[in-house]
Amino acid sequence: MADALMLQPDPEFVREVNANSGGELKKCFQCATCTSVCSLSTEARPFPRKQVLEAQWGLKDRLLGDPAIWLCHDCADCTARCPRGARPSAVMDALRMAAIRRMAFPRFMGSLVGDMETGLIVLFISALLLLAIALLPISKFAVRPFVFAQMFPKDRLEPMFFAVGAFVVLALTIGTVRFIRALRAAGARGPILPALVPALLEILRHRRFGNCNAGQTRRLGHLLTLYGFVGLAAMGTAVGIGSMFGLIDTPLPNLYPLKIFANVCALVLVIGISILVAKRLTDPEKRAGSSFCDWYFLALLGGIGLTGILSEGLRLAQSLDWMFFIYYVHLSLVLTLFLCTPYSKFVHFLYRTIAMAATWQESKSPGRGQLRPGGPEVVSSEGPGLPHVMGTRS
Amino acid sequence: MNKQLGVYICSGCSLGEALDLDRLALVATRERKVPICRTHSFLCGEEGLTQIRSDLADGSVNTVVVAACSPRAKTASFDFGPASLVERVNLREQVAWSHAARDEDTQMLAEDCLRMGIARAEKMEPLEPLAEAISRTVLVVGGGVAGIHAALDGANAGYEVILVEKEAELGGFVGGLKRVFPVHPPYTSAETAGLGEKIQALKSHPLVTVFCSAEVLRIDGQPGMFDVALRQGQNQATVRAGAIVMATGWKPYDPAKLDLPGCDLPDVMTNVQVEKAAAAGVMLRPSDGKPVRSVLFVLCAGSRDPNHLSYCSTVCCTAALKQAEYFREQHSDVQIFIVYRDMVTPGFYERYYEKLQSHPLNFFLKGEVQKLERNGDGKIVATLRGSLLGEDEPLNLAVDLVVLATGMVPNSADNNAIQTLRDAQKKLERKESEAQVAEAQKTIGLLERHANTEILNLGYRQGPDLPVLQNGFPNSHFVCFPYETQRTGIYAAGAVRAPMDSVLAAEDAGGAMMKAIQCVEMAVQGQAVHPRAGDLSYPIFALQRCTQCKRCTVECPFGAIDEDEKGTPRFNPYRCRRCGICMGACPERIISFKNYSVDMIASMTKAIEVPDETEDKPRILIFACENDAYPALDQAGMNRRTYDASVRVIPLRCLGSMNIVWIADALSRGIDGVMLMGCKFGDDYQCHFIRGSELASRRLENVKDTLERLQLESGRIELVQLAIDECDRVPQVIDDFVARIRELGPNPYKGF
Repeated sequence: MADALMLQPDPEFVREVNANSGGELKKCFQCATCTSVCSLSTEARPFPRKQVLEAQWGLKDRLLGDPAIWLCHDCADCTARCPRGARPSAVMDALRMAAIRRMAFPRFMGSLVGDMETGLIVLFISALLLLAIALLPISKFAVRPFVFAQMFPKDRLEPMFFAVGAFVVLALTIGTVRFIRALRAAGARGPILPALVPALLEILRHRRFGNCNAGQTRRLGHLLTLYGFVGLAAMGTAVGIGSMFGLIDTPLPNLYPLKIFANVCALVLVIGISILVAKRLTDPEKRAGSSFCDWYFLALLGGIGLTGILSEGLRLAQSLDWMFFIYYVHLSLVLTLFLCTPYSKFVHFLYRTIAMAATWQESKSPGRGQLRPGGPEVVSSEGPGLPHVMGTRS
Repeated sequence: MNKQLGVYICSGCSLGEALDLDRLALVATRERKVPICRTHSFLCGEEGLTQIRSDLADGSVNTVVVAACSPRAKTASFDFGPASLVERVNLREQVAWSHAARDEDTQMLAEDCLRMGIARAEKMEPLEPLAEAISRTVLVVGGGVAGIHAALDGANAGYEVILVEKEAELGGFVGGLKRVFPVHPPYTSAETAGLGEKIQALKSHPLVTVFCSAEVLRIDGQPGMFDVALRQGQNQATVRAGAIVMATGWKPYDPAKLDLPGCDLPDVMTNVQVEKAAAAGVMLRPSDGKPVRSVLFVLCAGSRDPNHLSYCSTVCCTAALKQAEYFREQHSDVQIFIVYRDMVTPGFYERYYEKLQSHPLNFFLKGEVQKLERNGDGKIVATLRGSLLGEDEPLNLAVDLVVLATGMVPNSADNNAIQTLRDAQKKLERKESEAQVAEAQKTIGLLERHANTEILNLGYRQGPDLPVLQNGFPNSHFVCFPYETQRTGIYAAGAVRAPMDSVLAAEDAGGAMMKAIQCVEMAVQGQAVHPRAGDLSYPIFALQRCTQCKRCTVECPFGAIDEDEKGTPRFNPYRCRRCGICMGACPERIISFKNYSVDMIASMTKAIEVPDETEDKPRILIFACENDAYPALDQAGMNRRTYDASVRVIPLRCLGSMNIVWIADALSRGIDGVMLMGCKFGDDYQCHFIRGSELASRRLENVKDTLERLQLESGRIELVQLAIDECDRVPQVIDDFVARIRELGPNPYKGF
C-alpha cells in the first residue's frame, strides 16, 4: 500500500493545541456527542469530533487546511455536552489560533495570538508612535475652538496610518495566499471566488449564527458589532482619504450625514460588543473557554468604540483637560487594531469568509444522507431538530 | 405405608366465591373416599395450620392434600416436616384466578385438579434420605490466582483443601506478571500482584495440602466421595475429596491462526510475550535488539471474530494500557499507538484508561489493522482501514514494534469431543465393517487435536472431563447457574469459566469454593445441591427389569449414571440433580422417585374425568415444566389473565422427565390433546437441566409416528417453548391450541 497516507503525529502540535484548549484534549474518546449536538456540522463536513481526533494525533497539515475549524461559531454547546470534559469547542478555538499563527506574515508576529506580552507590546509601540507624532514638532497649541488636528496634524497622522494600512493589507494578502494553499493541500477543492458573493451575503445575514445553539443573543451581538465596525471602517477610510486630498475638512459639522452615520455606527458597535461581553461573562462554558485572544480582541474593539464616542463628546464640550488625552488613547487603540489584524482573532473575518466560500458548494448540495439541517441554506430560526431530541436546550 | 389422607380446602383468596367448595369436597369424601376433608376460610393462617398439625399429630392423617394456592406459594407454611407427605392442589392461580367464577367448566377444572392431587398423594411414599460417609475435603485443580484464592477461602472457612498444580511453583499466569491492573482508588496506577503473601498464607495453612509439579491421573466416584489419583514425579497417591474446584486458567490464543498478514514478522509480539519481557526487565526489538521508540498495539487480535474467538476477553484493552506504561518507563518519549475496535475497560479501569489517554504521546484510534509489512528502515508499516482518520482510505503507520492483543482461551478439555474420539478409536479397533472404519477414521481426523487433552480424567461413562458450552467454557448457564458445570460437585472458577482478570478471578474462586462447600454439606444431609436444592428424593432403579438399553446412561445430562460391562446402569446418586430425565428416558419404566414416578403421573392422568364426545367438552392435558412454564402459568393467573378451562395441568420436574407412556395413556383414555410446555432449547437454552426440553421434543417425534399409525392426528400433541417471563403469551398459546383441537374434533378413542 505504497500510496496509502502515512500517519505522522506531530507531538509538538499536540502539546500546543492541548495547552491552548485547557489541557483536556486527550480526554476525548470519540463518542461523537459533540458532532451530534452541533447544529452547524454536516455529513459532508463533520466537526468537531474529527478535528479533536486529528488534534489528538497531531495531524497538523490536515487541520490547518480544514475549513471546518472556521465553520464553527464557537457556541460551546459541544463542550457543555461532552461526557468526558474534553472541551471540543475550546479545541476548535485553539486550532483556529494555531492556524492564524501559521498563516501570519511576518512569521514572528504569529506569536501575538494568545500571547499577552506581545499584545501589550504592540499596544505600547502604537502609543509611542502616536506620541512621537503629537510631540515631535511642537505645534501651535490650544487655540479655541480646539480641534484634534492641533495636536495630531493630519499631514503626519494620515500618511502613517496609510503606511501601516498598506503593510496590513500586504500581510493579509500573504496570509490569504497561505491559507488558500493550506486549504487546497488539505483537499478543500471548492471554487472560492464565485462563492464569495453568497458567502458574504450569508455573513451579512448571519443565518448560520442563528442556527448555532448560542441562540439569538450572541447572533445579535455579533451582527451589531459587525455592522458597526464595517460602517466605522468605511467612514474612517472615506474621511481619511477625503481629508488627505482636501475634499473634506474635519471636524465635520454635527449634522453632516456622514457624521450622523458614524455616530450611529459607533453606538451600534458599543452595544454589540457589550452584548458579546455580557454573553461571555454569563455563559459558564463560554467564560471558561475564553482565551486571552478573545478578551484582547473584545477589549480592543470596545475600547475603540468607547474612546471614540468619548473623544467626540469631550471635543464638543471643549474640555482641554481630557480631549487630547482620550483621543490619543483612541488613536493608539485604532493603530493597535491595525497592527493586530492579521495576527489576532480579528483575522477570522477573512479566513472564515474564505472557508465558507470554499465549502459553499458542498453546503448547497450536502450529498449523501445529510443527517441534520444546519447549512446556510436553512432559513428556519428554530434551529436543528436533533439536539432538541437529545436533550434540553439552555 | 398405610395411607391416611386428609384433604384441606381453603376458601380464602376468593376461592370460596369462584367455586362451589361443598361440591368440591364431595369429590374427596364421596368419590375418593378420603376420611378427612376440611374447609377453612384462611388455611395458611394459624388456625388452619393448627388444624392440619393436630390431625397429623393424633395420627388421623399422614398425607396432606392442600387444595389452595400454587405449590410455589406459602411453601414454608405448608411444610409439616419430612415425615409428613404434602400434595398441593393449585386452585388459586390456575383455577379461580384464571377462569370465570361460578362457572360449570371452572368447577369441573377444580374437581379434576383435586382428583389428580389425591391420586398422586395416594401413591407418594415417604422419602428416605441418602446417608453415606461424605468427605468434606475440597480438591482444587490449578494453582493460579483463582486456585490460590479458592483454596484459601475454603481453608479459612474450615474445610480441608488439596491443591494440585502442574508447575513447580504456585502463581500461574498472574504470578509471572510485572504488575496487575489498578485495584485501589484512584485506580490510575498498575499495582504489584501481591500473590506472594497469598501463597505464603496458603502454604502455612494447616488445612491446606499443596502438590506442585503434580497431576490428576484419574477421578472416580461421586460428590462426597471422589477418589482422586495423583502423581507427583515418581510418587502416586489416592486422596478422597468431596467436591472439586477446577481453576485451570487460560492460554493465549495462538497468533499463528490470525488472518493478519505479517503477524509472523520478528518484531510482532503478543501481549503475553510483552508481559514476560517486561517482567524480565528488558524490552528490546526482537529482530535487532534496538530500543523501542514506537509501539502499535493491535487490540482484538482474533477476538470478537466469528472465525477465531467470538467473544471479548475483557482484559486485553486494559492490559495494553498497562503495557504502554512499561514501554514509557523505558523511554519517556516512546510513541504508543493503540488501535481498538472498542476500548473495553470495565468498572474503574476507565479511570486508568483516562489517565493513559491524557499522555500526549499515547495515540488512540478506533479502526482495524489490515496488514503488517517490514519496510526498508526495518520498521513495521501497519495498514489501517475503517478508521475515522482515514474514512475509506487506507492509512499507514510506521512503528518499531507491534503488539497483538490476543484473547483468552480456556484451559479446558472438550469432554464430548474426547468421548467421540475415543468411541471412534474403539470402533476402529473392532473393525466391524468397512463403512464404519471409514467413518471412524474421518471422525478421528477431525478430532485428533483433542487426543491426550484430558485434565480431570473422570471415570465417568460419559467421558473424562467437563462438557463445554460454546467457545470451550465448561460453565453451565452463566447467568442462572454460575460455577455449576454439567458435572455435579465440580465447579469451574476463574478464567477457565469465563474470560476475566485477576481481580475477578480471585472473587470467582470464592464463589466456586462456596458452591463446593454447599455441595459437600448438602451431600452430608443427603440432599440435592442444585438446582433442586434440598430435595431428599432420588431415582431408584428396579434393575431386575432393566434391558440394558443404555438410554438413561446416555441421556443423563450430568453423567450421573455409569454402566457395568453388560451395560447395566450403575447409578451414582450424589451426582444426580433429581431432574428425572432418566425416568422419562426409560422405556421399561423401571426408574422412579418415591414422590415422582411414571405410575404416579399416569394415575393423575387417569383421574381426569373425560366427558363423552356428545358434550363438546374437550380435555387437554398440559405437562408443564415446573421451573419455567408452571410459574408462567401462575403468573398469568396472578395477572388475572383468563384462558380456556378445558386444560388440566400436571407439573413436571423437567420436561425431560416426560415419559411417552403418559401421552399414550392420556390419548387412549380420550384426552383430546396434549401440550408440553418446556424451556427454550438450543444454543441459548434455558433448561435448568441443560437438555430436558430438547430430549422431550426428540421423544415427541417418535410419539407422532406412533400416532399416525393409530390414525390419530399428530396435531393433537404440541411442544411449546415458554420462558418464565412469558406469562402474557399463556392465554394465547392455550386458547389457540384448544381451538385447533376443537377443529380436529373429539378424540375417537373416547369411551374405549
